[in-house]
Amino acid sequence: MFDSPPLAGPEFSPLVNFPELGRLRGAATGRDWPTVRAYVSELDDPDMRATAGRIVSETPGAEEFLTGVTRRDKGDVMARVLLAGTLIHVGWSIRTGATANQVSADQFTRFFGYLRRAEKLLIDVCAEDPRNALAWLHRLTTARGLQLGASETRRRYERVAEHHPHFYSAQAQLLQKLCPKWGGTWQEAHGFANECAAAAPPGSLSPLLVAEAHLEHWADRDGPSYDLNSPAAQRELTAAVHQTVMADGFAGDFHWIYAHGLFALVFSLGEHREKAAWHFQVLGNRGSEMPWNRIDGDPVAAYKRHRRAALGRG
Amino acid sequence: MDGIEETTHGGVRTVLAGRPGPLTAGLFFRVGRADETLSTSGVTHLTEHLALYERGLGEGHYNGATGASYTHFHVQGGERDVVGYLNGVCAALAELPLQRLETEKEILRTEEAGRGSGANRRLPLWRYGAQGYGLVSYPEFGLPRLDGTAVRNWVRTWFTRENAVLWLTAGQVPAGLDLSPLPSGTWYGTPAVTSALPRTPAYFSGDEGGVVMDAVVRRSSAAHLYAELLGRELFRDLRKKGGYSYTAAADYSPRDAEFATVTALADALPDRADAVLGGFVDVLARMRVGTLAQDDLDAVRESALAVFDVPDVAAARLPSYALNLLYGHPNLSVAELRREMNRVTLRDVRAVAEEAEGTALLQVPRGRDAEWAGFVEAPGYSTGVVGGERHPAIGQDGVHLVIGADGVSLVTPGGAATVRWAECVLVAAVPDGARRVTGRDGIVVAVEPTLFGVPPDGIAAIDRLAPPGTLVWEPPRSPEDIPQPSRAKQQTGRFRRRR
Repeated sequence: MFDSPPLAGPEFSPLVNFPELGRLRGAATGRDWPTVRAYVSELDDPDMRATAGRIVSETPGAEEFLTGVTRRDKGDVMARVLLAGTLIHVGWSIRTGATANQVSADQFTRFFGYLRRAEKLLIDVCAEDPRNALAWLHRLTTARGLQLGASETRRRYERVAEHHPHFYSAQAQLLQKLCPKWGGTWQEAHGFANECAAAAPPGSLSPLLVAEAHLEHWADRDGPSYDLNSPAAQRELTAAVHQTVMADGFAGDFHWIYAHGLFALVFSLGEHREKAAWHFQVLGNRGSEMPWNRIDGDPVAAYKRHRRAALGRG
Repeated sequence: MDGIEETTHGGVRTVLAGRPGPLTAGLFFRVGRADETLSTSGVTHLTEHLALYERGLGEGHYNGATGASYTHFHVQGGERDVVGYLNGVCAALAELPLQRLETEKEILRTEEAGRGSGANRRLPLWRYGAQGYGLVSYPEFGLPRLDGTAVRNWVRTWFTRENAVLWLTAGQVPAGLDLSPLPSGTWYGTPAVTSALPRTPAYFSGDEGGVVMDAVVRRSSAAHLYAELLGRELFRDLRKKGGYSYTAAADYSPRDAEFATVTALADALPDRADAVLGGFVDVLARMRVGTLAQDDLDAVRESALAVFDVPDVAAARLPSYALNLLYGHPNLSVAELRREMNRVTLRDVRAVAEEAEGTALLQVPRGRDAEWAGFVEAPGYSTGVVGGERHPAIGQDGVHLVIGADGVSLVTPGGAATVRWAECVLVAAVPDGARRVTGRDGIVVAVEPTLFGVPPDGIAAIDRLAPPGTLVWEPPRSPEDIPQPSRAKQQTGRFRRRR
């Protein structure tokens, strides 16, 4: 063990970790709409579609590319949803993730402008196609950015849950809104996470919310310090592991790296190195920006630091 | 047509259709609140009350109603009751019981105080301003100023044989019915349509949690079915599915010969205002581009067609038939109406939805906006400020009043309210010196001498510069209603309001 060479830097790019997403990005960069469209359309799972949609929407030049597509074919729902995703992405990068008092009035004006353009597209898409999971997912984000209120965010979640009851990505968006930083309470946040986990079929992603709620609670600097190592927290986290990554039939799809990373992180923060170690081993030198960016501006450094502590090597 | 006979009686256009049972009749005049001005507001209603005062008439059920663009005297009973009532109304209009003037004004003020403010009370003033169809948003501010001469002139102009339509559920006009006391005059088309909205769709923020919308669409069977479907979808989404609202409904009502107003509303249960707004916006979009079902259209069509299945449909149609004559809207036969209704497709409903959303005015819950849904804010401030003498607010930084030869302005950090004399429709005066100046666009400048230290000659200037006929004296205020600088609320918020 002690002789093992230090590990190379982990691979964080989804484009490398999931080669098909790399090819999707290539098609988006090359403005090959038929290929992009065919690939995303074939994904039935809303969480896979959400990830693929993000790969397209966050492609440099996507705003121009997708605007062109929507102009050529006004009826193309997929193009409009992906364009809305791009507008949200661009808007949010103008706003940045800084706390509101560090964002200038001009930044806010441009941010709201982008979100309103996205929302306008999404209002029509959701009317035309009420089952469109990706459109509703985006509307959970716009509801938060445009400050449309807790009951409206909840309404949007209920509209998507009507057709996709275990849509993890949407649940994760609502969970954000239920945290105190966006006007909720810890009781609501944990309650919602546990509720989704309990309702989810084995092997689905929803129990990840339990770990996310604990992580958010731990990371909250405004409240009293939160003990991730409490018996209750550890019991819930362990149960979540068994319901997801250790469950029979867990595929994880585009989320499996994130899922193991999330557990690796929360167990590391709770000083359960041996539990974290297993997740790091499964990851096999792969990672993703989330959840590591939640605790450090340099997510790769955070990953390596905690991995070193868990595995006893770099 | 269809068992309805059009004739004239005593120079009044008359429509007749017989039916068994008690006789029902109505006399419409093409005059209502939208024909008034803010400083004569209430004159039609006062006329209606004076016309009804003398009828101490047997057993008949009778009533009078003053709408935005019509006045209706309505009666049901035996032939003698009906003849007695209508003859009495015409005689009273010819010779008004002016000894009752002050008493009836008092009764109207009491009615006003007791009148609940309907959910859609504020929309007309935001859409049309303090004029025309917007006047229904306001209390009857003209009452104190109305004297016998004013009411008599009003009758002579509007309550004439040529400007009336009579309807009766009988095959012929009963003997002894005498409309001849009515003055002779001319027919008036519906009031001019004004606008206080530079752009639509627009929104303003209301005082409640709920959402109210109105929209102006061309009259048609498709528009009627659009409103029915809209009410159904709102109820389904906001009440049954979401549980955000208790009441959610929509209504279609003809405004004039060409256009109808679609009004829709959804109230909000506690803490659900945001969801009501969001759900409302989504229903509007569904009506325009969404997944409306043919079954739903067929269901509302069936209910709409059911009105033609009642016994004595000709007699039942008389009031709306008469109103169409009064407005100058063509009357179709029942067969034509059925055909039109049966031809409406989902595509037609979507076209109406497009038209409706293009003209929509949305009252959003307090403190919310609808920019995110593509609605522009309706102007709550004026764009300019007049020159003149400045009176800074006592103890409030950044707030001052200007009284000038062109008008008055109230300037606050949030924005200014300006009423130019050329656009002034009301100067409401009280003996303590306060003046409430209202412009055609509905903007109000409240001149409170106690808050701005305005000297008496400043107030006198307002009274002198107010356009003729716009100064209305109101009863004295009780001392606790006179604002004092120490207790004054910070001058903020919008200046479009009723008082």
